[in-house]
Amino acid sequence: MKRTFAQSLALYATVIFTLLMILFPVYWLVVTALSTTNELYRLPPTFWPTDPQWDIFARVWAAKPILMWLWNSMLAAVGSVALSMLVSVSAGYALSRYSMRGGATMGLFVLTAKMLPATLLVIPLFSIFSSFGLIGSLWTLVLAHSTMIIPFATWMLKGYFDTIPKELEQAAMVDGCSPIGAMVRVVLPIATPGLAATALYAFVLSWADYAYARTFLVNSPDNWTANLGITTMQGEYVTYWNDISAASVFIALPIIAIYLFLERYLVGGLTAGAEK
Amino acid sequence: MANISIRNVSKSYGALNVLRPFSLEIENGEFVVLVGPSGCGKSTMLKILAGLEPATEGQIFIGDREVTDLAPGDRDIAMVFQNYALYPHLTVRQNIGFGLKMRGTDKTEIDRRVDDAARILEVTPYLDRKPKDLSGGQRQRVALGRAIVRQPQAFLMDEPLSNLDAKLRVHMRAEIGALHKRIGVTTVYVTHDQVEAMTMADRVVIMQGGLIQQIAAPDELFNNPANLFVAGFIGSPGMNFLNAELRDGQLTAFGQQISLPRATTHQGPVVVGLRPEHLTLGEGPVTFSVRPTLVESLGSEKYVYFEAEGARIADGEDSKSKGLIARVSHSGALPRNEEIRLGFDPAQLYLFNFKTGERL
Ligand SMILES: Nc1ncnc2c1ncn2[C@@H]1O[C@H](COP(=O)(O)OP(=O)(O)O)[C@@H](O)[C@H]1O
Ligand SMILES: [Mg+2]
Repeated sequence: MKRTFAQSLALYATVIFTLLMILFPVYWLVVTALSTTNELYRLPPTFWPTDPQWDIFARVWAAKPILMWLWNSMLAAVGSVALSMLVSVSAGYALSRYSMRGGATMGLFVLTAKMLPATLLVIPLFSIFSSFGLIGSLWTLVLAHSTMIIPFATWMLKGYFDTIPKELEQAAMVDGCSPIGAMVRVVLPIATPGLAATALYAFVLSWADYAYARTFLVNSPDNWTANLGITTMQGEYVTYWNDISAASVFIALPIIAIYLFLERYLVGGLTAGAEK
Repeated sequence: MANISIRNVSKSYGALNVLRPFSLEIENGEFVVLVGPSGCGKSTMLKILAGLEPATEGQIFIGDREVTDLAPGDRDIAMVFQNYALYPHLTVRQNIGFGLKMRGTDKTEIDRRVDDAARILEVTPYLDRKPKDLSGGQRQRVALGRAIVRQPQAFLMDEPLSNLDAKLRVHMRAEIGALHKRIGVTTVYVTHDQVEAMTMADRVVIMQGGLIQQIAAPDELFNNPANLFVAGFIGSPGMNFLNAELRDGQLTAFGQQISLPRATTHQGPVVVGLRPEHLTLGEGPVTFSVRPTLVESLGSEKYVYFEAEGARIADGEDSKSKGLIARVSHSGALPRNEEIRLGFDPAQLYLFNFKTGERL
């Protein structure tokens, strides 16, 4: 169907408006980083600094252990992704393929865990972790983030596995695979887009966490994640918003990189051709 | 290649009995078709044979080996699925060779056998494509290729043609038949289409509600149906049925007394079956007059629809009234609602027990 001019106009207007909504905060972050402190407090605000402070990035990088923070965030996120994917893939696959007594109820129960706010879980988790002597260790984040990620990830993956015809595993088993072999050789490769989307979701959730990191790691500066590190840049009397913004840009970059890397796996339609 | 022996296999899902004790001996190289309406348990039986579902009770032998508790991969069978179930992430070559690879066959041997199978099924030009870049018919061939490449003891096929359009279906039907003649592997083929069953099978197993209704060669099934269900299921258009009264060898039907040539001692209500093609236009040993409610022309043949006292469908106790059909050779015009004479030979009537539906 060919679009009329008015339809095209409406379409592009919507796209541009949405993009502006999404990109404006990012743009504002960059503008804030590049402005001098004086310019930041000027009214009306300027939409591009008169004297962009490009050296701010180098200054902040030198002044703060940004690389260490990023590294800690990365460790926590990769650990959370690995642990939660291991659990969610197995659980989602089992919920999708095997009917078990109370399976549906259990599935719903798992999902309600997702509805509990982090602040509710943080106290019991703290006492559990301290009895295991984990407070201050990045393992607290791996475990705590996994409790947030696993319920929803399990449901995402169950939904994805449901779309894969079970005849594919049956064919693989007739061809000589064990049930696990059929899952590894046939189902998981086909589920790549679903796995990638879930892993991205898990990574972002872990990367964006502040509450858990603040509670479990505040007294261990060597294990601070990026989000926790940045908030310590807020001074008691003066806050250098340009420094904080520059640091935030550094933190946003890995997410963008991960997204670009996973994008090619996110495209759906990989099952096309399996059936008639 | 091997014979298959299914001994008293039953299957239930909780309280639902999907298969009643099911026994069947399939000979080496035989082409057996399981046919029956949707939901009668055909796929379940095939999955039990393949090892994809456990039987609730009973035993299965392939060759001399009991396979009841073996995993699908250890049964040395190949299966073709209704939706083909090709591995979408693998090329045609990898799809066909997958089973060999899983069994640790060496690379050059896999290539050789895949090439052979591809040649037989004429898919050589597509070996490097992914399934999504194939047409329905080509996918069907790849699915068959995946089955024949392993040279298994038996092929199991679950409605492999039902996703093809009518013309391709007829073509592939003949091709599967030719393939079976060529490689002679014992085959169990499932379909709901009685035409497929009749044209392809050495023997047909007719099922309904998890029960075997009859096991027979196609012609035998057509000529000697064991019960009402089989009689109604086989043949197109289907057999006509009438409720009638049998007394002292005299049948009351079509408004007259008909003397039956075969002696029968049965008394009381019966169901009478008469195939549409056994009715002829004009006088016969028994003749009656009707006004056609509809005449369908197929050129040299006509389907004449008419009503008659006691007409009923095969199953359904309510003897819901239904029109009867005569399939007559006649190329002239047959106006609707104008009286015509139809004749038949009482030797060609089928009689069924009114209550049980068993053939008398
Ligand atoms: N996993 C299952 N759980 C419960 N009932 C099932 C299951 N699989 C099949 N059935 C039931 O078993 C009956 C036979 O199914 P099936 O063998 O697929 O029939 P067919 O292939 O002859 O159409 C149907 O009534 C179906 O609903
Ligand atoms: Mg079926």
